[in-house]
Amino acid sequence: MSAIETTGLTKYYGDTLGIEDLSLSVREGEVFGFLGPNGAGKTTAIRTLLGFISPTDGTATVLGRDATDEAELIEAKRRVGYLPSNPGFDEGVTGRRLIRYHAALKSDERSDELLDLFDPPVEREIGEYSTGNRQKLALVLTFMHDPDLVVMDEPTSGLDPLMQERLYEFVDEECDRGTTFFFSSHVLSEVRRICDRVGIIRDGRLVTVEGVEELLDRSGKRVRVGVEGWLDPAEFDLPGVHDLDVDSERGDASFMFTGEYDDLLDHLRAYSVRDLDVEEAPLEDVFMKFYDGEAASESDDTDPATGTPPKASSTGGENDA
Amino acid sequence: MLDIATYESERRITGALVLAVLLAVMSLLFVALFPSIASSGADLDAYMKSLPPALQTAFGASGAFSIATIEGFLAVELYQFFWVLMLGIYAAYLAGGLIAGDVERDRMDVLLAAPITRHRVVVEKFLSLVPVVIALNIVVAAAVYAGVLAIGESVPLADLAVAHLLSIPYLLACGAIGLVLSVVFDTSDVAKRGGLGAIFGLFLLETVSASADLDWLGAVSPTRYYDPTAILVRSEYDWTGGLILLAGTVVLVAASAWWFRRKDIA
Repeated sequence: MSAIETTGLTKYYGDTLGIEDLSLSVREGEVFGFLGPNGAGKTTAIRTLLGFISPTDGTATVLGRDATDEAELIEAKRRVGYLPSNPGFDEGVTGRRLIRYHAALKSDERSDELLDLFDPPVEREIGEYSTGNRQKLALVLTFMHDPDLVVMDEPTSGLDPLMQERLYEFVDEECDRGTTFFFSSHVLSEVRRICDRVGIIRDGRLVTVEGVEELLDRSGKRVRVGVEGWLDPAEFDLPGVHDLDVDSERGDASFMFTGEYDDLLDHLRAYSVRDLDVEEAPLEDVFMKFYDGEAASESDDTDPATGTPPKASSTGGENDA
Repeated sequence: MLDIATYESERRITGALVLAVLLAVMSLLFVALFPSIASSGADLDAYMKSLPPALQTAFGASGAFSIATIEGFLAVELYQFFWVLMLGIYAAYLAGGLIAGDVERDRMDVLLAAPITRHRVVVEKFLSLVPVVIALNIVVAAAVYAGVLAIGESVPLADLAVAHLLSIPYLLACGAIGLVLSVVFDTSDVAKRGGLGAIFGLFLLETVSASADLDWLGAVSPTRYYDPTAILVRSEYDWTGGLILLAGTVVLVAASAWWFRRKDIA
């Protein structure tokens, strides 16, 4: 069974599109990152899954329960934790009181352990909390009933780097215990750090769903090479070389490479190499291909009926893995 | 069960007690003024009669009783204005923030992430007003009674108790009007001010309709069904009115829950 399953999920606010024809499946036990620029529909999708808004069309199940049926979704919510991007709390109560309140509403399996880990100042009134402390309290509330599925909307916003790392480690541990994570993010390093698979959403439509590793492999490596003497750009017009940038005077070339290393090394043997740097493509570049590529083709991508925007697939074809 | 109502009323009760004490102090001041007004020789009844009929109705002073008696004085000066109008407005204003406030400040997301029905949220949030209304009534009733005794006057304890008892369904009905606005609007300020305006409007409507031969028009106003003046001056207890208010409250709360269940929480 999938932890989350949506089929043709669509939400219009009047005439404004929230999400359209969103079909995805989050497997049990995986960490699924949901990525997209602001306004792409990430939050709309999450809110539909949690029953805060009802879809215009399509179906969604959460832990096997119909997300559009209140009674069924409540059964699911006993085992779901939700961390909103900007959690709202009553300012005048202490963190301790709020934890007691939520314990009454959804049970408390492990708040003590979580308080040790995240350590929000629970004896103080929430009105005095910093953004980071509010987020820490929200984390305790999210995990205190030991959920099987955790939905997080931009989870590390407001956390300092130390707490971010603590959260990542915590997600790793929870994942080992079998917890499923579905979270939206635009922090690419965090996606790289904790996600198994990512879904990329743009203009309310799902552009691609892929494993993080595959996504990086497909984009290849960034190669920088410096050689003695003058360099003709045409010399690097090899299979698997993209985005070539050559400084002929200095003998520098940099490009994205998706071909075989042996071929590249064979080719380099003809030069006196002074410098060689091969590194993983920054995730930013990978995602920019999805976002920017389509932004550029915006004008000819106006048919709302087509499921997958054209540029995404062409990006894939270009980087044949 | 009632976890939401308990939590919400706990948060509200301090504010309610502060308000209750302020109202009690104010009531004591009014009561303390009574002897000097009654003995001043000024013909208050003649003054009241000189007011336009609509204003007389608004003050509950129909001319059929003297406001120079302690009952009449309390009814006109304290209950008709502060209890019916001001506290009615307060109840609607408070209720206006119940749902809209949480939606506006993203607290509703945190709450609804828990396995609870929206119906339960609406009903329990409304129920959290009950202790507030009861606390206000107990504190102020006690203060008024003690004050009246202290100045050497007396009012029938039963009349005073019923005046307060029947104000509970009245204030809850006002709160239910605020609750409807609170589920319809997403902005707490709009719902609260709407509640304030609605109660004031209904108060005026009832007043005007009573003096303008459009009696049926005032039937939608909760003020029609709670008359502290009749209770205090004539010992007339309108139990039916109380039941109508309770029934109206139940209908409005049910309608709010129905609406909130269908609503998209933005």
